[in-house]
Amino acid sequence: MRAAMWLPAALLLAGCSREGERMRVVEIPGASPLVTFRIVFLTGAASDPEGREGLANLTAAMLAQGGTRRMSYQQILDAMFPMATTVNSQVAKEMTTFSAVTHVDNLERFYTLFREMLLEPGWREEDLKRLRDQTVNFLRVTLRGNNEEELAKEVLYNEIYRGHPYGHHNAGTVAALERITTEDLKRFYAGHYTQSRLILGIAGGYPKEFAERLKRDFSRLPAGEPARADRPAPQPVQGIQVRLIEKQTRSVAYSIGFPIQVKRGDPDYLPLLVMQAYFGQHRTSGGRLFRRMRAERGLNYGDYAYIEYFPRGMFRFEPDPNLARPQQIFQIWIRPVEPETAHFALRLAFYELDKLIREGIPPAEFDQARRYLTKYVNLLIKTKDAELGYAIDSLYYGTPEYTRYVREGLEKLTVEQVNAAIRRHLRTRDLYVVAVTAKAGELAGRLLSDAPSPMRYNAPKPPEILEEDKIVAAWKLGLAPEWVQVIPVEQVFEK
Amino acid sequence: MLKPVLLGVCACAAVALALAAKSSEKAFPYAYDQYDLANGLRLITVPTDFPNVVAVHIVVHVGSRNEVEPGKSGFAHFFEHMMFRGTKRFPKEKYEAVLREAGAASNAYTADDRTVYHTTFSKEDLETILEMEADRFQNLDYSPEAFRTEALAVLGEYNKNAASPMMKLHERLRETAFDRHTYRHTTMGFLKDIQDMPNQYAYSRQFFDRYYRPEYTTIIVAGDVRPEEVRRLVEKHWGGWKRGAYEAKIPAEPPQRAPRSAHVEWHSPTLPWVWVAYKGPAYSDTERDQVALDLISFLGFSESSPLYKKLVLEEQSVDVLEASNPDQIDPYLFTVMARVKKVEDVPRIRDEILATLAAFRETPVAPERLEAVKNHLRYEFALRLDNSAAIADTLAHYVSLRRTPETVNRVYDLYRQVTARDVQEIARKYFVDSGRTIVTLSAGRPQ
Repeated sequence: MRAAMWLPAALLLAGCSREGERMRVVEIPGASPLVTFRIVFLTGAASDPEGREGLANLTAAMLAQGGTRRMSYQQILDAMFPMATTVNSQVAKEMTTFSAVTHVDNLERFYTLFREMLLEPGWREEDLKRLRDQTVNFLRVTLRGNNEEELAKEVLYNEIYRGHPYGHHNAGTVAALERITTEDLKRFYAGHYTQSRLILGIAGGYPKEFAERLKRDFSRLPAGEPARADRPAPQPVQGIQVRLIEKQTRSVAYSIGFPIQVKRGDPDYLPLLVMQAYFGQHRTSGGRLFRRMRAERGLNYGDYAYIEYFPRGMFRFEPDPNLARPQQIFQIWIRPVEPETAHFALRLAFYELDKLIREGIPPAEFDQARRYLTKYVNLLIKTKDAELGYAIDSLYYGTPEYTRYVREGLEKLTVEQVNAAIRRHLRTRDLYVVAVTAKAGELAGRLLSDAPSPMRYNAPKPPEILEEDKIVAAWKLGLAPEWVQVIPVEQVFEK
Repeated sequence: MLKPVLLGVCACAAVALALAAKSSEKAFPYAYDQYDLANGLRLITVPTDFPNVVAVHIVVHVGSRNEVEPGKSGFAHFFEHMMFRGTKRFPKEKYEAVLREAGAASNAYTADDRTVYHTTFSKEDLETILEMEADRFQNLDYSPEAFRTEALAVLGEYNKNAASPMMKLHERLRETAFDRHTYRHTTMGFLKDIQDMPNQYAYSRQFFDRYYRPEYTTIIVAGDVRPEEVRRLVEKHWGGWKRGAYEAKIPAEPPQRAPRSAHVEWHSPTLPWVWVAYKGPAYSDTERDQVALDLISFLGFSESSPLYKKLVLEEQSVDVLEASNPDQIDPYLFTVMARVKKVEDVPRIRDEILATLAAFRETPVAPERLEAVKNHLRYEFALRLDNSAAIADTLAHYVSLRRTPETVNRVYDLYRQVTARDVQEIARKYFVDSGRTIVTLSAGRPQ
C-alpha cells in the first residue's frame, strides 16, 4: 500500500460539461485498496431562503440518508451493509460535502448506489418526516439538551452573525424545519446542485479511467450559476455583549469571540495561525490558555483559541475539512468551570487576551510555534480522506497545497509580523461572551457588579500566580446592563 | 487473571518473534515484529507504507478494572492525567516543549482494561519521543501541589461529561448489573471519589509503583520505521526499567440470579432511553461466544436489521438503535440501546428488543444474513486501517486484551467459523431472564 501523504499530489483537472460550464475535479491517485470520494457543492446554510433555515442541510440529508428513484432508503442500507460503507453529508455555510470510503473490491457496486443517491434522489415523504425529526432532535436534544460546550459555540456564531446569511445554525431552526416541504427540497436541489458549483474529489486506488466516468455522470446536472462569493459584513458589536443561556447544569461553559477579516490565503492568515498555536492550539496542553487556566490553576479541563470554524471540537483532535468560508471569527473556548470560579475564569481569559495583544508573542515562543506548525501540519493530512478534503479547500481558497502553503509561508514569517497581525485583528472589546449556566441571573449580577472574585486554591501556589490573581480578580469588564441578556435554553434554535 | 503480563516473557534473553503475514489471508494485513525485553516489556513494531509519520501507542495494562479498593474509583484515569506532570529531567514545561518541537499530536485515554498514551510525529523524532516517554514511565515526579491542581482538571472533565445523559445511564447500568466486580463503576469514577482525589497523593505514588512497570506495558510503534532500529532504541531507553511484583485481585462477579431494572429521572428535557443488557462473556480469541454475540449485535440491531427498519424507518418511533458488545478482559455486558421519541412508547420498544433477542434463541438465522454481517465486519476492519495512528490505535485495543496482534487474526478467523447453529446456541446461553438488566431514562417518570 502506498500513500503519497507528504507530496503535493493533488491533480487538479477541469472538465467540460455538455453545456460548456466547468465543473472541477480533484484527483489524488494512489495504490491504496481504499477509494475515497468527496463530492462538494458550493452551497450551504448561507443559501437557505428566509423562513426555510435548514433547507440546505435537509436537502443534503435527503440525498445521503434517503431513498433514490429506484430504491428505498431501506434497500440502500441493505446494499451498503455488506460493504461496510455509508455516505456522509456535511453542510456548512458555503459548502455541502458528500463523503464516503469504500474498499476497491466494492467500488463498482458502491459507486452505482452513490451516483444514484446524488443524481436521482427519491424525495419520499417518509424520508423527509424521519430526517426532519432527526434534525429537530439534534437541535433540541443533542445540542441544546446534552452538550453545553457545542451549544455555547453555536450560539456565539448565531449572535455574531445575527441578521446575516450566517446567522442560524447549519441545521436550521425548529420553526423553519417544520415548514419545509418536498417542493422546497426539489427547488433547492435544482437550483444549487449544479455543475458550476461542483467539485468532484476522488483519492486512493481507483482505476485510471474512473475520474472521467465521474465527470461524465455528473455532467447530467444543470450548468447553473456560479456560487456567490460576496457576503455582507456582520453587524458591528458594541462593548461586551453577554448572552447567558440558562439551563440546569453543574457548571458554566463559555465561548467568547468576534469576527475577523482574515481567511486562509490572506496575508494575515499564517500570522494568526501562529498566534493560535501559541495561544490555544486545539486539544493540546502546550497552548498558553491551557497552561494558565488548567495546568497552573486547575480551573477546568481545557482552554483553546480558534481562527476558523471548528465544530464538534470536543469529539475531534483535528478539524474536519470542507468547512471553508469567506468570513471567520476569532474564538476562545473555555471548557466548563465550577460556578464559584466562573467569574474569575472569564476575567482570566480577558487578562490573557489583553496581555497577548499588548505584549505579543515572545520571540522564543514564536520560533517554537513556527517549528511546531511546520511539522504538525503534516499530521492533518494523515489519511487520504483528509488529504483530499484539504486539496478541495485549497482550490476554494486559491491557495497552494495546504502543507506547502503553511511550511513555505512560515519560513518567511517574522515575530514582528505576527504581533502586528495580533494587534490588527484581536481585541478585548466589541465582542460576544456566551455562557451556558444555571442561575443565570446570579451570574449576570456578579459580572455586572465587577466586584472582586478572589480565587481560592486547594494547594499552595507560587507567589507570582497569587500576585497575578490579585490583578485578575479585580479585572474590570465594565459591562453595561443593556449588554447582558439571559436566554432560556428552550428558546435557542427555535426560530 | 491478568493474562497479558504472564504471556511470552523470557527472563534469560530477549526473544524476537517476527511474523510475516500474507495480506490476503490475515485480517491484520501488516507484517509486524514482536519483541520481548528481559524486563518483561513488550514491543510491537508495525512498518507501514504511510511515509514519514510514526505513531507510538504505549499500552499500560491497567484501567478502572484494577480499582479494587473502596474510594478509589476513577483513579486509573486520574493517574493518566498525572503522567503529564513531568519528571526531574523533563519537567512538564520541557516535556511539552519537546512535543511542540516535534510537531507531535499527543494524548492519552483510559478504559476499563487499559490506559493508552499515544503520540504521532515525524520519523526523525523517534528517538527523542521514545527517550522522553521512557523517562516519564520510569521517573515520574510531581509535587503534592501539582497533584491537587490536576485533581481539579479531572473534576472539570466530569463536569463536561455530565451534560449528557449517557454518562448517567452508563453509571446506573453498571451499578445495577454488577455486585462485586470493578466493572460496577465507570472509568470516570464516582463523583464523591473524584471530589476526594486531591487527598490521595500517597496512594497515587503507590499506584505508580504497582502498575507502571514493564510487565504491565506494551509499546506499539507503527509507521515509517525499521523494526531493528526501534528495538535498539527501546532497549537503550527502556531496558533498564525495573520489573514489579504487584498483581491486583479483581473480585469475581457472582452469578446473577434474577432480572434487574433501574430508572434514571433526568433533570432537564431530553428524549427517553431504554437500555436492555445481558451478562455476556469475556473477550476470547479461542471460544466463539463473544464473536457470536458480536454477530447478533449486527444481525439484530444494525441499520440493515429488521428491527431498525421497523422502528427507525417505518414507524419512526425510535431515532437511535444500537447494540454494544465490547471486548473486555472479564465477563461484561451485551447491551441494546434505543432512544425513543415518545415516553409512552418506552415499554413497547423494550418489549420489541426483548422479542428480537428471544427470536435468536428460537430460530436459526438465515445463512445469507450471517454472510452479510461477516462481510461487513471484514470490510469495516479494512477501512479502519487508513493511517499509521489508526493502525496503532486498533492494535492498542487488541493488545490490551491478549498482548499480541495475532489475536486480531484469531478473532477474525472465529468470525468466519461461526455458524447459524452457534448463534442460536449462544443466544440460548446468554439471553436468559436471570442475566438481564434493564435501565431506562426519561425527563419524567416512566409509564
